[in-house]
Amino acid sequence: MATTLSYREKSLYASLVAEVVVYGPYFFLHQQNSVNKVAGMIVGIIALQAVLQTVIALLTRNRVTDERDRLIELRGYRAGYLTVATLMVAGLGMLWFHATEGHINLENRQMGLHFLSVFFGMLVIADVAKTATQIVSYRRAL
Amino acid sequence: MPAIRNQIRELRAVREMTQQDLADRVGVTRQTVIAMEQDKYSPSLETAFKVAMALGVTLEHCFQYVPDGKRS
Repeated sequence: MATTLSYREKSLYASLVAEVVVYGPYFFLHQQNSVNKVAGMIVGIIALQAVLQTVIALLTRNRVTDERDRLIELRGYRAGYLTVATLMVAGLGMLWFHATEGHINLENRQMGLHFLSVFFGMLVIADVAKTATQIVSYRRAL
Repeated sequence: MPAIRNQIRELRAVREMTQQDLADRVGVTRQTVIAMEQDKYSPSLETAFKVAMALGVTLEHCFQYVPDGKRS
């Protein structure tokens, strides 16, 4: 019998699409970052997710979730945590290196925006890693 | 990794029960039943008991532990 997607899988694919659509252009098309763009993306991802998840919920009759869904969700969160922790350590290491070398000026306002963008980027990468891990876990043996 | 094998597919076929029927009786998704039948998911003890009860057999009849077995 053919394997169709469960409600949780459809929801995850929608999340991944929303993340790529909203975050993708920000990281690959915009060179100049700003607080407004970050705020706009947060509003954008929330709005798009709300629309997509509502549509999926309306189109899916059987919205049962079970222990396998919860296990896969936990795996996703673990992958997301490991990703953000690794990126944070690497980022702090680079910050320490450049600060000791005198490459950065923390008094500069643009530097603050740069840090905002970098830390936001870490969260985005972790979020995508979480979603992708969950999608892959549905296709692999647990 | 130790594998839990099962006879869910065979037992279900004998009873002419669909995957969705079994899923509804156990309280899991059809995808989880498919994953169990393909040995891609070892259920919790509680769910294993529910599956065995839904199929009208004992736990040992439905699930077998293979200590050094490999997943197919």
